[in-house]
Amino acid sequence: MEALNNLMYGFGIALQPMNIAYVFGGVFAGTIIGMLPGLGPISALALMIPITFAMEPSSGLILMAGVYYGAIFGGSSSSILLNAPGVAGTVATSFDGYPMAKQGMAGKALAIAAYASFVGGTISIVFLMMVAPMLSRVAVAFGPAEYFALMVLGLTAVVSLSDKSLVKGLIAAVVGIMISIIGIDLQTGTVRFAFGTTHLLDGIDFLVVALGVFALAEVFYMLLRGGGGKEPERNAIGSLRLSRREVKEIAGPIGRSSVLGFFTGVLPGAGATIGSFLGYSMEKRIAKDGDTFGKGNIKGVAAPEAANNAACTGSFVPLLTLGVPGSGTTAVLLGALLVMGISPGPAMLVDRPDVFWGVIASMYIGNIMLLVLNLPLIPYIAKILEMPRPLLLSLILIFCMIGVYGMSFSVIDLLFLLGFGLMGLGMRLFGFPAAPLILALILGSIMEESMRRALQISGGDWMVFVDKPISMWLLIIAALSLLLPLVKKVMQRARS
Amino acid sequence: MTTKFTARGITAILLPLAGLTGLAGAVQAEEWAPTRSIEFIAPANPGGGWDTLVRTTSRVIQSEGLADQNFAAINVPGGGGAVAWAQIANDSGNPHKLFATSPPIILVPLAGTSRYDHTHFTPIARLITDYSIVLVQADSDYQDLNDLFEAMRERPSMSVGGGSAPGSMDHISIAGVASAAGLEASGVNYIAFSGGGEAMTNLMGGHVEAVITGAGEAAGQLGPESDIRALGVSSPERLGGPLAEIATYQEQGIDYTFDIWRGVMGTPDMPAEAVAYYEDLFARMLETDDWQEARDQLGWIDAYQSSEEFGDFLDAQKEEFSGVLTELGLIR
Repeated sequence: MEALNNLMYGFGIALQPMNIAYVFGGVFAGTIIGMLPGLGPISALALMIPITFAMEPSSGLILMAGVYYGAIFGGSSSSILLNAPGVAGTVATSFDGYPMAKQGMAGKALAIAAYASFVGGTISIVFLMMVAPMLSRVAVAFGPAEYFALMVLGLTAVVSLSDKSLVKGLIAAVVGIMISIIGIDLQTGTVRFAFGTTHLLDGIDFLVVALGVFALAEVFYMLLRGGGGKEPERNAIGSLRLSRREVKEIAGPIGRSSVLGFFTGVLPGAGATIGSFLGYSMEKRIAKDGDTFGKGNIKGVAAPEAANNAACTGSFVPLLTLGVPGSGTTAVLLGALLVMGISPGPAMLVDRPDVFWGVIASMYIGNIMLLVLNLPLIPYIAKILEMPRPLLLSLILIFCMIGVYGMSFSVIDLLFLLGFGLMGLGMRLFGFPAAPLILALILGSIMEESMRRALQISGGDWMVFVDKPISMWLLIIAALSLLLPLVKKVMQRARS
Repeated sequence: MTTKFTARGITAILLPLAGLTGLAGAVQAEEWAPTRSIEFIAPANPGGGWDTLVRTTSRVIQSEGLADQNFAAINVPGGGGAVAWAQIANDSGNPHKLFATSPPIILVPLAGTSRYDHTHFTPIARLITDYSIVLVQADSDYQDLNDLFEAMRERPSMSVGGGSAPGSMDHISIAGVASAAGLEASGVNYIAFSGGGEAMTNLMGGHVEAVITGAGEAAGQLGPESDIRALGVSSPERLGGPLAEIATYQEQGIDYTFDIWRGVMGTPDMPAEAVAYYEDLFARMLETDDWQEARDQLGWIDAYQSSEEFGDFLDAQKEEFSGVLTELGLIR
């Protein structure tokens, strides 16, 4: 009941005309930023700090939060239409979204992404509202050992992401881990695989690799098959409507992924990208038609989209209740709040309830706005696919290059983009899946850092990973998820 | 001790001279003013200390109308600053390019990952400082720093988390105070996290036993209801606001202070009249209400030094840091 009263109080703030305008401005700007590959919410928010400085803190946070979840919402469009993830959190959306677009179902894929994002966002706001103060306990319960176990569990998804050959999937994953350890090692300060250049000291940005092996490789692949390939059909967008059967089919994945995504978001450092991968691989394993994932299964779009939006909301838990940023984006938000004279933390709920409840209420409004804003736009956005192929390919190329250059202003990163594009093409020609590489790249560095931190704290005692209950259970689940399919196979063989 | 004494001696001799050049600079400053917008570089991603400094100062300079030209905040991330420094070092004499700086300009080159250090650039001014703070869980047995170091002496495996890599600010700071308290600097089991926030959550969850981080960053976390408690700050005198009740290291009988200073530097061989212009500009900025408000909210403390003083200070810092790093076995 109390939460409901507080929420009403929050709506009183969020529904002030100025704040409605800020929500709208925020989600609108966020959608656009999300659609453009490379330009992510972090840089957009940093640019907005001077604007928000003079604003009422609750309005400032309402605006900035809108940009953040708006970007995650909008990021699916370029993943689906161009195979070029708009933001890191929507990489997994392209696994099935892009095949759907190629099969003339772009409209449906975009609509599913919008519905899933909306539901994921809304479910997670309810969670944020009801259990945020309790959840701060969960966030601090995860230390290095627990993170290591979580990353191991995440990595078991390599099995489900390698479609035909497990060996090739594992090879791709190992390459991903190798890329993830380039740069200065945080534990010792040692420089690894940088070949003496300063450009590799921070490693290779994950989006450079993702744009290379997905979007650019796709461009090369299309070029290689020659201009003789058939022109895209007219009306390649297809209908936006979902049949009742389809709605039923995606309801489960959206619900489960929303919850999973939210809890992943709560953990500092995990966030939308890992959340979307976990959601995707969980649904692929649960689904009866799991083998059609990666070929345009609607559940493969719904799950990661629900998860990444839920994780985005979840990442507000450590920010607002502990005053600790869980990601680069929330770090910028924290900085902006400090400048406005607000220090988020346990005391904020008491001292500044207007900020806390105002922003939560504004998220409900923002999610509805995003849905209303995005659905009618779909036919126009999807028109991009009706372009003649040479134009479309050049457009993807330009998007990728602007995106990568815009992140670091470094020409060398453009060369890396080209390199990863060629690598992605090679992988495609020889049947190596790209998804395990990306997954391992995301999880690899956190896994390694957490493992070594845990061992340094325990004085080199490996038992630390099974002594802690959370870590032990995560490792058991990871082991089971690898062993169960094997056991099943053996049983089947024995029976026949 | 000897080095410090000589440094002070040289400053004493140079002071009258500095006054003279300062005067000359002031005369010339009338003649030089930027003719296009100034690139103000944060050698890191948005959100960190350098970025906040660059954006806050640019905003104050603009809102108070202190300069005719625009200050454009630019992020050049990479290598803990090394990528930006390499770019700026190749822009010798350009009077329209500045960057935010702090101890890494000395520490990163000492660690061997940057070819350029503070001597390659032109010091403009030191602006602010923050201090280190040592934190434990609220229900911890340790009541002061001496309890903590006593325990560390008996059990060297005790983990102390920090928000930066080994050999960087937080590590040097804890190693320095441990050494001043009579322990081996290299005996601290320092656990590097990727930020002060991450280190503090790990302390709240009981994954590490103590944490060292910036006092400004920790200020929002401390309070009667908090899960964490401060044992000491590295400032020479007690800090203000919510941190007023925390004893300094020196009050607890450990003769050690540590500054996390931040300032502004320019391109190599920047013309003297441009240096004088910026020196004066930043000195005036520190006087504005806008700045003082932002500074207090961010938990910073004014610590202005002119170009000359800042240059000497940087040399002295390098001496001190290389001493600790050698003790830690981290100088390569």
